[in-house]
Parts: sequence; C-alpha cells; structure tokens
Amino acid sequence: MTGDQMANDATTHDVDRGLPGALRARLAADFEVVEPLSRPPVRALGLIPFAVLTLVAAPWWFEPRSDLARLGWTHAWGLSMTQSMAGLLMVAVALREAVPGRAWMPASLAAWFAAPIVLVVVVTLSTFDVSPIGVRGGGAIGAVIGAMCFAGSLATALPGAVLSAVLAARAYPTRPALTGLLGGLGAGLMADAGWRLFCHFSEPTHVLTGHLGGVLAAGLCGALVSRRLHGRRNPL
Amino acid sequence: MNAPPDDRALRALMASYQAGRFEAFDELYPLVAPVVRRFAMGRLRDMGRAEDIVQETFLQMHRARRTYDPAYPLMPWVLAIARHCWLMELRRASRRPTSDVDIEDVPLSVRSGAESHEARVDVHRALTEVPDGQREALVAHHVWGLSFHEIGAQLGITGAAAKLRSSRGMRRLRNLLGRGGA
Repeated sequence: MTGDQMANDATTHDVDRGLPGALRARLAADFEVVEPLSRPPVRALGLIPFAVLTLVAAPWWFEPRSDLARLGWTHAWGLSMTQSMAGLLMVAVALREAVPGRAWMPASLAAWFAAPIVLVVVVTLSTFDVSPIGVRGGGAIGAVIGAMCFAGSLATALPGAVLSAVLAARAYPTRPALTGLLGGLGAGLMADAGWRLFCHFSEPTHVLTGHLGGVLAAGLCGALVSRRLHGRRNPL
Repeated sequence: MNAPPDDRALRALMASYQAGRFEAFDELYPLVAPVVRRFAMGRLRDMGRAEDIVQETFLQMHRARRTYDPAYPLMPWVLAIARHCWLMELRRASRRPTSDVDIEDVPLSVRSGAESHEARVDVHRALTEVPDGQREALVAHHVWGLSFHEIGAQLGITGAAAKLRSSRGMRRLRNLLGRGGA
C-alpha cells in the first residue's frame, strides 16, 4: 500500500489500530528473535586485539626507538598506552554515534574531533621536552621520513578503521561519514601509539605532520569506508 | 490532541518485539505512528509522502530493532530513524526527475463539443503509448510551455536531448493518431 492510498483512506489517521496489511506482511516475512546489540563501550572492546597488536608490532618487528631509556616507562609505554586507550574510547564514541537516538550533539562532536589532535600534540610536546631528537640532513630527508611515518601510521590503522566501520554498520548509523571518521581517528590513534615507539624522532614538525597526518588520514579512510558500507545497505 | 504515549509501555512493547512477539508491533503502531506522522507532516506538508515516511520508519525500526536498548526511552530512537527516513526521502526526491506527468491531468486544447471529447480521449490514449521519456519532454514543451533548456534541467539531460525526445514523441504521437491506433 502506498502513502497516497493510505492518505485516501479517510479514517486511517484517526484509528491506527495496527500495522497496515502490506507492511505487516513485509515485516513478518523476515521476522525473527534478535539479541539486542551490546552497549557501544562493550562492543569497542572487540578492537582490543588490534590495539595490543599495533602497540607492540612496530617496536617488536623493527626496533624500539633509540631514546627509550631516556624517555622512561611513563613517556614511552605510558603515553603510548594512554593514546591506545584513547583510540579505543574513540571507537566506542563512534559506535554510540551509530545507534539511533544516541547521536552526539554538535558541541560534543566537535570536542571528540578535537580530542585526538590535542592528545597527539600533548604527547608530542611532552616527549620532545624529555628527549628532543630532530631529523638531520635537511628538508628532503625530513620529508621522506615524514612520508614514511605517515604511510606507516596510516597503513597500520586501516584494518582498525575498516573493522570499526563494520562494527558501526552492524548498528544503524544515520550519519555514516561522521561515524566512520570517529572510528577511523580511533584506529589512527591506536596505530600511532605503536608507531611512535618505533620512530626515532621527536621533533614536533615531524610528528605533527607525519604521525598526526596519518591519524587524520585514517579518519578520512574510515569515513569513506563507512559511507560505502552504508550505501550498500541503503541504496537509493 | 492525543496524550503522549507512556514510555514504559513503549519500551516494554519494543523489548517484547525484539524477544519475538510479533504482535507487539501491532500494539506499538497506534501509539507511535501518530507521532511519526506529525513529525513527517511538519516537514513535508504532504499527507501521502508523510504516510510513506511512517511506513518506511516502521520498516527501518524492524531492520534496526537490535540497536534498541530498552534501558533508554523509545521515542528518541524512533524519531532518529524517522528523521533518517525523511532525509533519505529528500535525497531520493532530489535525484528523481520531477516531471512525472499524469496523462489524465494534461489539458489538451482540441475542438469543442462531442467531437472534442472524443479527440481528447484519443489523444490521452495515444499519449499512454508514447515512451515515458519522450512523453515527459513532449508534454512539458507542448502543453506546459517549458523551454527545452528548462526541461533538460528537470530531467537531468541536455536541452538538445530534451528537444530530440520531444520531437520523437511528437512523431510517435502523430503516427498513433494518424493510423487510428489511439
């Protein structure tokens, strides 16, 4: 039954006694018991293996940064674990955004988008304060190293961004790009938490372009993946 | 004005639907549909389209039912879905051509009297046999007086393509009327 047909049914609006027949039949066709989704923070815990893997993979596969001893546990592993947990929190934020009626208000969204940037800046400055190591050899070498760290952070983050977008798509994101952006930023934070333990340079110019750039690019990739998934589920 | 639905009852009904009692949706419909309808009418000002939104919202509520957490009120969840359906409808409307011409509504200036009525019926019948795209362009130009440029903009094609469709439609219409095929 179309809307026009229903609108022509003069009494429909006054006596909504039950589902219209056609709609009822359609719903009944694929009706089954469903288990409500767990709450967003619980679902975000599904990315813990990714968080742990990205935290230890780069320093284990390559070698830890040369100034690890000077940084001490707090500025090396402590800050990276904080960043990784912040990434998990961002994924939880994204998964909440994907639940109808629980979407974030604009001010909260702005704060959530600013948080990863502020965090990386704080981590960068505090690391540089304890162990200032710049890139030697001029602009060209700096750009190449920056590009390597950008690509490394981004490549490491991509599986997490995709996983986060898939988890969000299992809910009902009404703003898929925003949801994917939040989840992608979370994955970027987790990936960079490990990448910074491998990178030997703490110079803010390098970290804020190469590493933070990778985090932001992961956010964009998450947004693209999430939109793509949403388009498949809801073709116009 | 109806009293707002009791939130505890709504939560219980939705939880019951999630748990497999299909009839709970039947009970939910009269409580929730008027609110969704008001929401849609306030935005669309079109009863038919608003009713479409109501039905689409219930369809999407069904699909998204596992995302509802009974610890939270139901209506924000429903209205978020309704808003999404409304936005999707706006997107769909912006993408589809707006020149859906109901042939019965086309005013045709033909001769007066009984002969006029017969001719009008013939033309209407012939128009139904003209392919959709050609008919839209033909009617928009020859009946509504739109320029080919305007028609092209409406149909998402170039003005030249609109002119071609219109002339092909006219040729087909003439053939149909000329051989008495209407």
